[in-house]
Amino acid sequence: MTIAASTQLICFLVLGAVIAIGGLGVVLLSNIVYSAFLLGGVFMAVAGLYLLLNASFVAAAQVLVYVGAVNVLILFAIMLVNKREDLEPIKGLPTRRLLSGGVCAGLFALLVRVAFTTPWAVPGPEAVGEGATVRIGEHLFTDYLLPFELASVLLLMAMIGAIVLARRDVQATDLGTGQSADQGLIEKSRTPLLVDQPPA
Amino acid sequence: MPELGALLLSTQAMPAPGELLNLALNAGAIAPEGAVLLAMLATLLVDLAGERVAIRWVPPICYLGLGAALVLLALQWNAPLEPSFLGAFLSDRLAIAFRAVVAMSTLLSLLISWRYAEKSGTPVGEYAAILLAATLGGMLLCGATDLVSVFVSLETLSVASYLLSGYMKRDARSSEAALKYLLVGSAAAAVFLYGASLLYGLSGSTSLETIGLALIDSPSPLAALALVFVLATVAFKIAAVPFHQWTPDVYEGSPTPVVAFLSVGSKAAGFALALRILVGCFGSFDTQWKLLFTVLALLSMTLGNVVALAQTSMKRMLAYSSIGQAGFVMIGLVCGTEEGFAAMVLYMAAYLFMNLGAFACIILFSIRTGSDRISDYAGLYQKDPLITLGLSLCLLSLGGIPPMLGFFGKIYLFFAGWADHQYLLVVVGLITSVISIYYYIGVIKMMVVKEPQEASEVVKAYPEVTWNTIGLPPLRFALVTCVIVTAVGGILSDPIFRWANSAVDGTPLLQQAIAIASQKALG
Repeated sequence: MTIAASTQLICFLVLGAVIAIGGLGVVLLSNIVYSAFLLGGVFMAVAGLYLLLNASFVAAAQVLVYVGAVNVLILFAIMLVNKREDLEPIKGLPTRRLLSGGVCAGLFALLVRVAFTTPWAVPGPEAVGEGATVRIGEHLFTDYLLPFELASVLLLMAMIGAIVLARRDVQATDLGTGQSADQGLIEKSRTPLLVDQPPA
Repeated sequence: MPELGALLLSTQAMPAPGELLNLALNAGAIAPEGAVLLAMLATLLVDLAGERVAIRWVPPICYLGLGAALVLLALQWNAPLEPSFLGAFLSDRLAIAFRAVVAMSTLLSLLISWRYAEKSGTPVGEYAAILLAATLGGMLLCGATDLVSVFVSLETLSVASYLLSGYMKRDARSSEAALKYLLVGSAAAAVFLYGASLLYGLSGSTSLETIGLALIDSPSPLAALALVFVLATVAFKIAAVPFHQWTPDVYEGSPTPVVAFLSVGSKAAGFALALRILVGCFGSFDTQWKLLFTVLALLSMTLGNVVALAQTSMKRMLAYSSIGQAGFVMIGLVCGTEEGFAAMVLYMAAYLFMNLGAFACIILFSIRTGSDRISDYAGLYQKDPLITLGLSLCLLSLGGIPPMLGFFGKIYLFFAGWADHQYLLVVVGLITSVISIYYYIGVIKMMVVKEPQEASEVVKAYPEVTWNTIGLPPLRFALVTCVIVTAVGGILSDPIFRWANSAVDGTPLLQQAIAIASQKALG
C-alpha cells in the first residue's frame, strides 16, 4: 500500500467515524442545541468525503448550502424559540424506543447485507475533478434544464408560502358579506385532535 | 492541462458545445404547464394591488390559464410523440390524460374555494398562486421520465400541498395538519431519494428508460430494495394502506377546497408516477411489484371502507373513502392489461367529477352552517334541495350504484380484474363496495328520510338560500357541472370509454408492457 492510498484510507475511516458517531449524537442527544451543532459536524464530514472522491465543487456547495445556510437556519430557529415547556411524559417510552431501535437495526442489517451481496462495478467512472463545474453547467442547460427551471418555480412558491405563513396582517372581515373573519377553518364545532384544549 | 481535457472528452457522453445549440428541446410539450405558470405569475402581480382587486381579478385569470392549459392538452392529443427536454419529459397520451385530470381538478377546486377563502378571511391571491404551483408540479410529474425531473416536480407538488394544508394559520387544526403532512412527506421524499440514488448507482443514468434496460440486464437484490423504497413513496402519495396514516388528520385539518384538490389532483399525479416508474422502469420486477400492490390494494379497500363506517365527520369519512377508492384504482394497475390501464384512466376521470361534486356540496353546507358533522345533515332536504340532490347523486356514484358514472367505472375495473384472474382482488372489491354503499347511503338517509321535527339544530337554524354573495355563483356552477356529469355521464359514458381506451392505445410505454404481459401469458 502506497502512502497516498493509506492516507486516503485513514482519512476515509476518520470521516466515516465522525459521520456515524455525529449522526447517532444528533438523534440520541436530548439537548437540541448539541444536536444542531453535531449536525453541522456531520455536514462538514460529508463535505470531506466529497473531497476524497475528488469532487471539490460538490464539497464547496455542501459547505455553503448545508453548513452555511441550512444549519445556521436551524440554529436560529432553536435560539429564537427559547420557550421552555415541560412536555407530558409519553407512556411506555422504553418499549417504544426498543421497538423503533429494533426496526432500525433490522433495516441496517438489510442494507448491509444487500450492500455486500451486490456485485458493484468497481472501480467506478474516473472522477472529472476540476472539470466538474463545466460538466454540471452543461447538464443544467441540456438534459436537466426542465428540473432546473422548475426548481425556480418551487423556490418562488416556497418563498410566497413562507411570507403568507409568517406575516401578521389578517383580513378581519369577509369581503363578500362584511362579517368578521378569523382565518380559521369554517367548520368550527369539532375539537382539535392533538393540541391541548384552550384553558376555559 | 492537456491530459485533463482529453480525459474530459473521452469520459463525457455529452455532445460537444457546438452541437448543444442544435439539439431539439421540443419545449412545446410543456406549453400547458407554461399557461399555468403564466396564470400563477399574473395572479401574483394582480395580488399586489390589494385584496379587493384580487378577489375581482384572480378568478378570471386562473380560469383563463387552466382553460388554456386544457385546450393545449387537447391539441397535443394527436401530435407526433417525441421526447422533450432531451429525455426529461414525455408528453404521451397517458401523460396528457392524467395532466388533464390534474388541471381539471384544480379548476374545479378553485371554483369551489373562493367563497370559503373569503369567509375565513384568508388572502385569495396567494392561495390561488400556491394551488397553481401545486398543479404545475403535478402536471409535470405525470410526464416526467427522468429521476431528477420526477423528484423536483414531486417536491413542487408536495411543498405546495404542505403550505395549502396549513393555510388557515390561525386554526390549530390546520397547523397540525400541515406539520404532520410536512414531517411524513419529507420522510417519504428522503426514502424516494435513497431509492433513486440506488437506481442511479446501478445504472449510471437518471433516465427511467435506461434504468429499466439496466435492471433487465442485472436484476440484483439492490434493485429490489430500490423498488421497495420507490414504491413506498408512490404509496404515500396515493395514500395506500399502510402508508395512509397522514390522510385522515391532514384531510380533517386542511381547508376543505384543499382537501378536494389533494384527494383528486395529487392522487392522480401519484398514479401517473406509479405507472411511469413501475411499468416503465421496474418491468423486470413485474411479479414482485404486482404482489406488493395486490397487498396494498387489499388493505386499502378493506381498511378504508371499514373505518369510514365509524366516522362522524363528513371530511374524515371522505378521507377514508378516498383511501378505499384508491384501492379500487390499484386493481387496474395490478392487472397490467389493456383493459386494466384503460379502467384506471376511466375511473380517475369519473372519480374527479363525483368526488369534487361531493366536496362542492359539503363546502356549501359548511359555508352556510359552519359544520361538517354527518349528524348535522339530518332533515336537510326540507331546507336545501340542491345540496341534498347533489350530495346524494355524488355519494351514490362513489358507492357504485347504477346508472351513475361511478358504477360504469367500477364495473370496468372489476371486469378487467376478473379477466386477468385477479379473483381475490375483485371479490374483496365487491364486498367492500357493498360496505361503502352502506355508509354512503347512511348520509343520504340522514338527509332525506328524517322528518322535519327530527332535523338537527343546525338545519333548523338554516339560513335562507341566496346566491348573490361574491364567490357563490362559481361554487354553484362547479356543483351543478359535477353533478350533471356524474348523473348523465353514466348513461352517456361511451365517449369517456373511448377516450380512456385511446389514451392507453396511444402510449408506447403501456403498449410495451401489455405486449410483454401477453407473451408471458401465452407461454
